[in-house]
Amino acid sequence: MRNSLRFTGVGGQGVLLAGEIMAACKIKNGGFGLKTATYTSQVRGGATVVDITLDDNEIRYPYANEGEIDFMLSVANVSYNQFKSGVKPGGTIVVDPNLVHPTDEDRKAWKIIEIPIITIAKEEVGNVITQSVVAMSITNTLTGVLPEESLIEVMLSKVPAKVHAANILAYELGKKYALEKMGK
Amino acid sequence: MREVISTGNQLAAKAAVEAGAMFFGGYPITPSSEIMHESSDMLPAVGGTCIQMEDEIAGISAALGASMTGVKSFTATSGPGISLKAEQIGLGFIAEIPLVIINVMRGGPSTGLPTRVSQADIGQAQYPTHGDYASITLCAGSLTECYTETVRAFNLAETYMTPVFMLLDETIGHMHGKAEIPDLEEIQANNVTRATNYCEPADYLPYDAEMNKPAVLNPMFKGYKYHVTGLHHGPTGFPSEDAYQCEFNIERLVGKINTVHLENNGLDDLPDYEEVDLEDAEVCIIAYGSIALGAYEAVQKLRAEGIKAGLFRPIMIWPSPINRLEEIGAKFKDKILVTELNMGQYSREIERIIKRNDFTKLLKANGRPIAPAEMVAKVKEMM
Repeated sequence: MRNSLRFTGVGGQGVLLAGEIMAACKIKNGGFGLKTATYTSQVRGGATVVDITLDDNEIRYPYANEGEIDFMLSVANVSYNQFKSGVKPGGTIVVDPNLVHPTDEDRKAWKIIEIPIITIAKEEVGNVITQSVVAMSITNTLTGVLPEESLIEVMLSKVPAKVHAANILAYELGKKYALEKMGK
Repeated sequence: MREVISTGNQLAAKAAVEAGAMFFGGYPITPSSEIMHESSDMLPAVGGTCIQMEDEIAGISAALGASMTGVKSFTATSGPGISLKAEQIGLGFIAEIPLVIINVMRGGPSTGLPTRVSQADIGQAQYPTHGDYASITLCAGSLTECYTETVRAFNLAETYMTPVFMLLDETIGHMHGKAEIPDLEEIQANNVTRATNYCEPADYLPYDAEMNKPAVLNPMFKGYKYHVTGLHHGPTGFPSEDAYQCEFNIERLVGKINTVHLENNGLDDLPDYEEVDLEDAEVCIIAYGSIALGAYEAVQKLRAEGIKAGLFRPIMIWPSPINRLEEIGAKFKDKILVTELNMGQYSREIERIIKRNDFTKLLKANGRPIAPAEMVAKVKEMM
């Protein structure tokens, strides 16, 4: 079973680390995980895409195959428009409604879920940098691809100790919003 | 074996240190910067030195100087950096200074596409500077090979007393995942150390090498004084324009790599290429580096659809696996697909070897990878 996930944003938002954490978590649980990122040579503001492939069997090609992506999350309109075509028909796309504006056609093609990811990080966690953990938590809650306890453990091993509490809060909030959208 | 979760760039740096490198001289450039970054942590931890010089040229110059003292040295860069280093690479070839040069390829020419994948430095790796010489170039086709082939590059550099190119590309350098690498003890047991001539210092002739043999350059500052120059030189190392001497030098510089490679069917005991499902295949995909990652999946998808595809993946790019490529050319006729991220740089080498150009090419030079689906579609067109 292969899970193909894609995070898109703009440079500097921290989506790369979330991808690394998810790939590492899958590997630590005995499977295979690969993260690749594509970004522009702009320091900040260029469209960034992170492909995460998780599988119990070996993965060779590290990018998502177009049209085979199960789940995408986007926090920037420029990259949303550029990379949405990779999502398979009926796939799930989570967007931050303050930043990403899907068309009516998009809403017919995919299951679009709106969660204000940046606002949650900025106002409820109090640290905008935690947006990548909010995003990762939403992703894992909606897809269930990784064991939650293990994912949090790997996440904490990758962030400095002084921000552990903020990142745990970010994870919990992401999960709460995702569960609300799932009607749970 | 050790299981690590890492990127290709981090693995290349780790390999260098575990192969015994104690000096890095360079200047950071996307997409290779993490190699220097990692080295700046890892080298001081083992008593080595990592120095960021003022530019690419100074970076390789420092690394060459360190190597002349007997210290295994390396530098890392991308295509634009190789262009800048070209003159000093030539010094490395003619003066026979071992050095590992890691090139994480990005789109070119010039500053090109800094953050995007390319394989457009294949030709540059063969002839990075003016003059006659033979290049050794390895190309990693997996995270594991970012480690194992970098170790190999150090061993080849010391064995043949020459700069060795280690090619990664943006995809493989930055991709993050699981790699299985050999145990440190196994690596250390096989590390090649610099040959030394323990004769009386007064009798020492650094460049008194037989045809097709490398010079034996004793580490500097250990009692052996000798001249090193980019000019043609005789056995003492001092400049010489003697016609016989110059001819002998060039024949030996080329022969110590190319002739030895042909005669021994390789430069070491390690594989120069990988073959996947080729035995019963009716069509052969030839791909190297990160493009081979897509080719593995293309072979699987084609076989699932009843088309017997196989993969030939060169690991040592220069010198090329000539004998095997000739056999593949004869066996698969026009049912060969060469796919690479440039305008056909390795395809031309295949044309040269099999003396035909009736095979199919799938080329891309816009900074994007080639997906398995594109290879599958191309093979179907061929059948």
